[in-house]
Amino acid sequence: MNPENSIEVRNVKKKFKIFYDRGNDLKDRILFRNRNHYENRWVLNGISFSVRKGEAIGLIGHNGCGKSTTLKLLTKILYPDEGTIEMDGRVSSLIELGAGFHPDMTGRENIYTNASIFGLTKKEIDARIQEIIDFSELEEFIDNPIRTYSSGMYMRLAFSVAINVDANILLIDEILAVGDANFQRKCFDKLREIKSHGTTIVIVSHALEQIEQICETSYWIEDGLIKDHGTPKAVHDHYLKNMEEKRSQQLEKQHHQENQKPQKETLPDFCEASAIRMGTGAVRFTNALLCNAENQKQFIFNTEDKLKIILEYESHQPGLKGNFGYGIFREDGLHCYGTNILIETGECIPIQEHGRLEITVQNALLPAKYFLDIAVHSHDGIIFDDIRQVLSFAVTSDHYDIGVCRLHSEFSWR
Amino acid sequence: MKLIQELYAYREMIFSLVRKDLRGRYKGSVLGFLWTFINPLFQLIIYTIAFSFILPSPIEKYYLHLFVALIPWIFFSSSVQGGANSIMAAKNLVSKIYFPREVIPISYVTGCFVNMLLTFIIIFPVVIFSGVGLNLKAVACLPIVMLAEYIMALGLALLFSAVTVFFRDMEHILNIITMAWIYLTPVLYPIDMIADENIQKLFYLNPMTSVIVAYRDVLYYARTPDFSTLVTAFLFGIASLLFGELIFSKLKKSFAEVL
Repeated sequence: MNPENSIEVRNVKKKFKIFYDRGNDLKDRILFRNRNHYENRWVLNGISFSVRKGEAIGLIGHNGCGKSTTLKLLTKILYPDEGTIEMDGRVSSLIELGAGFHPDMTGRENIYTNASIFGLTKKEIDARIQEIIDFSELEEFIDNPIRTYSSGMYMRLAFSVAINVDANILLIDEILAVGDANFQRKCFDKLREIKSHGTTIVIVSHALEQIEQICETSYWIEDGLIKDHGTPKAVHDHYLKNMEEKRSQQLEKQHHQENQKPQKETLPDFCEASAIRMGTGAVRFTNALLCNAENQKQFIFNTEDKLKIILEYESHQPGLKGNFGYGIFREDGLHCYGTNILIETGECIPIQEHGRLEITVQNALLPAKYFLDIAVHSHDGIIFDDIRQVLSFAVTSDHYDIGVCRLHSEFSWR
Repeated sequence: MKLIQELYAYREMIFSLVRKDLRGRYKGSVLGFLWTFINPLFQLIIYTIAFSFILPSPIEKYYLHLFVALIPWIFFSSSVQGGANSIMAAKNLVSKIYFPREVIPISYVTGCFVNMLLTFIIIFPVVIFSGVGLNLKAVACLPIVMLAEYIMALGLALLFSAVTVFFRDMEHILNIITMAWIYLTPVLYPIDMIADENIQKLFYLNPMTSVIVAYRDVLYYARTPDFSTLVTAFLFGIASLLFGELIFSKLKKSFAEVL
């Protein structure tokens, strides 16, 4: 092993036995001996990497890609089927917080139990106990039984113990989501401090920006192999792009399937199956389309795209005036936007026997799935026709900004 | 050797698990820790009444005869039965955190052991007041007997705790085995009751026989146990520990996968 490295992983493979019908007891073993079928599932197909002393690395990948298994192999909870793992120094893992906590014991007593599970001796714990209590911000509650704690207090205590175990190698699994924002920041600062003291850190996380802030290298694991590694920003860009592509494909497929479903009789063809229609019927929509700027039907748009809503209607009552409008709701029910012709132009438009209306919209919505609502009302609010969730569409983006919609921002500096 | 070093490093974990076990047992009850003493005390009182009036025994001071053997037996059987389940019970720790797996059965058996030691606070006065009296030279042998019993129980706890993870019926099979085992061990009767010497020798193949005989020698007959009894007990203890650890170390790597 290279003395500059603190972790060396060489061609590690790991399989799990997946039992179709696990027989753990005698009867099953004997009576159904031939039923004891299992399948080997390879979770890791040969990964190798090394971590220098004092380096921090991040492991990313979608669920089930093998990153948590890798971490468990590093902690020696699991052992590889092939390949070797060498580590130099005391390992502490922040995988399970609050291990061995007893609800009837006080916070202080539980610190001793929990820290001892990390392999600390009484002397070492005595030396750290004040620091741990201070870090947890529990103050006078520390001598209360922890069953009286709130879940936030509980996690703060657990995290404080784990992070104050001075280890040479620290393994962290998705746990920086502890407590309120303030405490999270504190944990993060502590992590940096630990790192500056030369501790090697391995983080598994979905919070890519956290990895970018603290790690020098990021490893993207997919299907049990390292797909890419390098500086976190570059790897993450690659990873996100790949994820986005997969998601688009899935959305397209989903959309396709949804449109194949038999629709309710009362709903016309152009509506989504989930649409809800109401109104007097004095004016009826006969078609609704979502198109791109070139008037081609489309369901996936970019945040920067222009999109067109094309509405066709009919009416058998002459002389009506109508107020046409639309609304956009995100999949989780958030009302993102809504407007109508009265708001935009100050007047309603005369209704034709057969009419057509085009609304051109500059999109600014961020990636998500959305629903379109359309309606036509009279000037004083009588609902002629109103179709909720008439169409759905998805938005993708080239940027990683977050929130509801993209606000064009320019940064200048001196 | 490496294992011993590592276990030494994790000694605080063993202590705190034992502490948690002992304190957690009576937590919330009004009398709390006192139950550790009340329990055996009443056990003794009940035996005294039962075997003096209801079921008189030809053996002199049968209550003491029984008690000094039953307490070590309970330590042994609860260590093996409970110890067998200890890894399963600590599922959350074992599947999430690294520590030498031996810590779990060691803590469990040690917890039972400490409980037995505490019961001896009752036993000694009773031995004195019953008129048997303490033979100090004999009592000096007691730690050796205890140690032999401890490593024997630990060995079996290691063995069965590992096996139970992969074979859950072990727990129930053990219940039956210990039920029968108490009658194969001179707990309820004196070893001399077995008249045929050859059969008596056969009984000595039971590792617990020497242990119980030694306890009774010290506490009931107030005499030093035979050297050979002590040696036998010790050899059985070491064999049990080595065999238990051998199997345990083979199986422990897969614990997290099965749990």
